[in-house]
Amino acid sequence: MSINENSKGPQAAPKKTLAQRMKPYLGFYLMFLPVFIFVLIVYYWPMLGVRYAFYSYKLRSIQWIGLGNFVKLFAEKEFWSSFVNTLILSVGKLLLNTFVAVVISVFLNEMLNLFCKKFVQTIIYLPHFMSWAVVAAIFTLFLSTSSTGFVNETLKSWGWIEQSIDFLHSKTLWRPIFYMIDLWKETGWGTVVFFATLSGIDPGLYEAAELDGATRLQKIRYVTLPALSNTIIIVLILNLAKVLNIFEPVFVLYNTRVLEVSDVISTYIYRKTFLTAIPDYGYTTAVGLFKSLVGMVLMLASDYASKRIRGRGIM
Amino acid sequence: MQKKATTFDVILYIVFGILSLIIIVPIWKVVSDSFNAVGVYRFQLWPNDPTLGGYQTIFTTAKLFRPFLNSVITTLVGTLLGLALATLGGYVLNQYDMPGRSLLSYFLLITMIFSGGMIPEYLVMKRLHLVDSMWILVVKHGINVYNLVLMKNFFEGIPGSLYEAAKLDGCSPMQVFYKVVLPLSKAALASIGLMFAVTIWNDYSTVQIYITSPSQVNFQYQLRVMIMDGDTPTTAYKVSQNTLYYASIVCAILPFMAAYPFLQKYFVTGINAGAVKE
Repeated sequence: MSINENSKGPQAAPKKTLAQRMKPYLGFYLMFLPVFIFVLIVYYWPMLGVRYAFYSYKLRSIQWIGLGNFVKLFAEKEFWSSFVNTLILSVGKLLLNTFVAVVISVFLNEMLNLFCKKFVQTIIYLPHFMSWAVVAAIFTLFLSTSSTGFVNETLKSWGWIEQSIDFLHSKTLWRPIFYMIDLWKETGWGTVVFFATLSGIDPGLYEAAELDGATRLQKIRYVTLPALSNTIIIVLILNLAKVLNIFEPVFVLYNTRVLEVSDVISTYIYRKTFLTAIPDYGYTTAVGLFKSLVGMVLMLASDYASKRIRGRGIM
Repeated sequence: MQKKATTFDVILYIVFGILSLIIIVPIWKVVSDSFNAVGVYRFQLWPNDPTLGGYQTIFTTAKLFRPFLNSVITTLVGTLLGLALATLGGYVLNQYDMPGRSLLSYFLLITMIFSGGMIPEYLVMKRLHLVDSMWILVVKHGINVYNLVLMKNFFEGIPGSLYEAAKLDGCSPMQVFYKVVLPLSKAALASIGLMFAVTIWNDYSTVQIYITSPSQVNFQYQLRVMIMDGDTPTTAYKVSQNTLYYASIVCAILPFMAAYPFLQKYFVTGINAGAVKE
């Protein structure tokens, strides 16, 4: 190596042609080939399909209609309702989840007995590994109004209610129930990142606070929370980029009777395509394209914000 | 220094005790009722008429057992494919002197920013004859750019001198990969493999969108159809419908619940290696 540099001088490297520079890496290019093919098929090929957003595509007839689908889309009340629901459900659960996860991490961090702390952590991570289909099945069975519904029967046997409550079919109760189920499933897992940050706090800070006569609540207020603030912002930013993607949690819990409070963009696309006798693929592609474009803006904005805050993008 | 337990500590223990119960009781109730021949749907957390009939029904009814097998097969194959692609891609992206490296990373990056959406994806899969086939799960989850980047980040931590040494010994890139890199990456392979496995095993919506044939659906889907439509296979074991439901739920969560206490470390490192690491 050093001999080379001495004899040919610093200009030697650029003289190599691209092919010459690539040759030693031939093996690596071959190794990347399978990845390349899969990405091309799974991600890029569908991207070409967004052109159908400008067509009417029913059965086998495909007709160019320009921006017709978007005109229809923006006039559709059902679509705007799903758009608003997406924001309410997705942002709502993000804020709620993050808030509760922070509270749990902060106070669990105060637990002196390490075994108990580990035990609680193990328990609260558990539901994350259950699928949404399973979680929905469990709570649908539990909340059922039939004589087999665990929640209604328990409340009745305790004399708290007289008549069964149809939790999942009630327009007023559906959203609170949805948030609660989501909290049950995901909040524990949401604490993982906060614990990672908490374990990195310099113990010296707590000792110094103690010397200054700080109480435990004061230590939380002036040491723990400031240390978490950056992580909280990053968690919010990271997830904000993905708020429009919500599909499965809603899909497994909603039903036709609560559509107006639960229908989100993805379930709207699904219903318009797969539950319609003669679907217009063009129209539903247009809805998807609109969602992808807004999602892209959110993603780039999050990336920018993340770079500003921690000097590192999110991708 | 031993600190004395204060009122504050007592409150903490009580609150976290209740929190743990909130998580555990629903799961416990499911497990308990899965062994209970006659359902008692009040606050009773122990089977009063124990039976294994629910489980026997699952493993003797083709309608339930076939989807269970499909889930096992797609999860195994999909995880292997996923790990293969993530490690290959991560390893190549870690070659910072390779001409075109940044092009390749942009090639992957774009997929994280923009997607074709549900319907174009569906139309492509239809062209590939993957609609109504369980292999859609393998293809769709086998390539995961996020996991690929996690893998690359892990490889970055391996000292470069090891690669150099192997290269001097005359190893080709592929040989360095499986003789040096992979043996050093067991922990990362375990945690990223688990992430793939959990995703594929738990996937329900892909099946809902792409698959209609009963022979191709996975267990999550069959479970949901059975419970939502009340479509119970006739059971020879004389268990109530709900016993069968709860037994199916237990089968759907068992693989990871059983592995979880032992592999918790790997379950959790995946996310810590991820984007939010500080």
